Amino acid sequence: MDVNVPDARLMPDTLAPPAAFSGRGRRFAWTLLLLAVAFGAVPAAIVGTGSSYLAQIAITTMIFVILSASLNHVTGTAGLLSIGHAAFYGIGAYAAALLSTRLGLPFIVTLPAAGLIAALFGFLVALPTMRLVSIYFAVATLGIGEMIYVVLLNWVDVTRGPMGIRGIPPIELFGWQADTLLSRYLAVAVIAVACVWVLHRLTHSYYGNALRALREDDQCADSMGINVERLKIESFVVATFFAGIAGALLAHTSAYIAPDNFRFMESILILAMVVVGGLGSLPGAVVGALFMIVLPEALRDIGDYRMIAVGATMFLSILLLPKGMLAEGTALGFVRRSFSRGWATIAGGTPVGWK
Amino acid sequence: MKKHAVFGAALGAVVGAMLAATAGATTAQAADREIVIGYQAPLSGDRSQYGEMFRNAAQIKLEEFNASGKLAGAKVAITFEDSKDDPKEARNIAHKFLDNSKIVGVIGDFSSTVSMAAGEIYAAEKMPQLSQTASHPDFTKLSPWQFRNITTQAFEGPYNADWIIAAGKKTAAVIYIQNDWGISALDGFVSGFKAKGGKITATEAFNPGNRDFRSILTKVARQKPDVIYLAMFYEEGAAFAQQREQLGIKIPLYGTSSLYSPKLIELGRESVEGLHLATTFTPDNPDPAVQTFVKEYAARFKSEPGMFAAQAYDAVGIMLDAVAKAGPSVTRESLRDALAATTGYPGVTGATSFDPVTREPAKALAKMMVKDGRFQVVTGP
Repeated sequence: MDVNVPDARLMPDTLAPPAAFSGRGRRFAWTLLLLAVAFGAVPAAIVGTGSSYLAQIAITTMIFVILSASLNHVTGTAGLLSIGHAAFYGIGAYAAALLSTRLGLPFIVTLPAAGLIAALFGFLVALPTMRLVSIYFAVATLGIGEMIYVVLLNWVDVTRGPMGIRGIPPIELFGWQADTLLSRYLAVAVIAVACVWVLHRLTHSYYGNALRALREDDQCADSMGINVERLKIESFVVATFFAGIAGALLAHTSAYIAPDNFRFMESILILAMVVVGGLGSLPGAVVGALFMIVLPEALRDIGDYRMIAVGATMFLSILLLPKGMLAEGTALGFVRRSFSRGWATIAGGTPVGWK
Repeated sequence: MKKHAVFGAALGAVVGAMLAATAGATTAQAADREIVIGYQAPLSGDRSQYGEMFRNAAQIKLEEFNASGKLAGAKVAITFEDSKDDPKEARNIAHKFLDNSKIVGVIGDFSSTVSMAAGEIYAAEKMPQLSQTASHPDFTKLSPWQFRNITTQAFEGPYNADWIIAAGKKTAAVIYIQNDWGISALDGFVSGFKAKGGKITATEAFNPGNRDFRSILTKVARQKPDVIYLAMFYEEGAAFAQQREQLGIKIPLYGTSSLYSPKLIELGRESVEGLHLATTFTPDNPDPAVQTFVKEYAARFKSEPGMFAAQAYDAVGIMLDAVAKAGPSVTRESLRDALAATTGYPGVTGATSFDPVTREPAKALAKMMVKDGRFQVVTGP
């Protein structure tokens, strides 16, 4: 894998000012472009067309960007195949819904609380399962995901069971209420961008390298002095934290949640986003989420054959791009160059390591 | 550099697709007044058989209506959208329908969860919504814009309880599916049965998708109730009846109207003989309206319509009659008012009226039992 090519021509940044300058320029250009899409082009399209449909899709996409990016952190980068991600999304959603409807807590409290409660459950799940490898871990997360779904469905006194929870207040910050769809989108987008940025800093760093090392060979990583078990637990807790955040956003943007929002198929959908986008690639996870939410909507007009077309597109994308739309190696190189996160090298060399 | 271009192209393509998706939703208006009703239903996925029945029935009703000339000066069309029984898709559809200024009312969705996910949006944006099947007690409480054409278990449970008590049976065990509908069916029946002096020996829940009822049956039979009351759908009902027969348990079965389907007999064969249920719709009903519908449905779709198809047929009928009442200049507001004023709509599921305050439907139910391999109307207790 062309992830960490050692480069003897490594040079400190200060010795190569032109390269560093152009790197920083490019970094700003890409950051600006991405922010311009999220906070310029999409809102402009929503206002320009006056389409609430577009706004709704954009909100759903942003929530799934968080879910897919966080699953990618544990499944793509750290290599722990989790097929119960929707359950933690559900825990976050229920935590936010219950805290706001029963205790009247504001969004500023419910959002982090939802993440922390989901992360706590993630931690409790991680403790006994971290010694499991590959498919055994996947089956364990499958079981836990189903358990959590069944608890949401059957613990009627707390969750109201299949009746779901109604009347969840919209996003509100210090008196400012996100009551229009556009403001709701902007609030969700700010949080989604912040989440992706945190995951970006975790993944594209030496810490991320350690996660990739344990994915490739955990015994070898262990012998090199990496605390494998601790890193696995950390990556799982981080992923479940962000799933909880996504759940809180769902609860506060849709006003009504029920266990059906967090079925097993939802976990599979999130996993499909990660795989179609590129396992281990953070930009891929974002593109995968966009693709898997927008495609079925864009194909609505073809009617009954819609889901067949979606399935065929997924099949072809995996057949032709088995490493995903933005493969991990490509994505890491891209982040190093375009966000100047790798060390500058002699002109034309491959950037290496992480700043 | 090449990889940059690829990434840029991918980003551009996705943004382009999003814009294209919206452009499709906001096409130019036609010169003639065309009134559109949105219909959201699961046309793909696990529950697609229901969506398919709804669409079939809706098409028959729509053609009848447009041919009847009840509404001069305008033509009504129905736009179908597939919700996959997924709340996330239902929210998208709700906004798609709201964006379309030609749409004055919405029918759907199938399950309560999905109907309510969309309903929250219709309530906030003021679009009349009529579900043919959503039975969640909170559905019509969302806002004055929600209606339904199905009697809830709060109505059916006590109705069945009266029937069982009148037949001289005093104790009952309830087996119910663990979802919103199942819990409301349990509550409705148990409260009605107790109010009439009956005794509940056991209530047992099972999770959706379960097909093995042997342990529940053995447990329930030990207490020897006079009847077993089933709150479930026909797939589970047929499996339950067969396992009851295999275990040699002879306790009579009563059930909710959701069991009423030709498939129940097809799957359960002799084991469902003697099962009692009350339903709003029966294809054997000699009423000419029912016979026209049954013949037309069977001729077009090669199957006998069940309760679900009939519910959708009447939901569309109620909606279209409300459109006709509001006239060709119908708006979302005037359609809501016309819907709320529905009294005695002569449908195939019995004459339907909406309560002016709660917007809950009232219907007359027909008592049925399975006899000689088919559903037959029961007269007397």
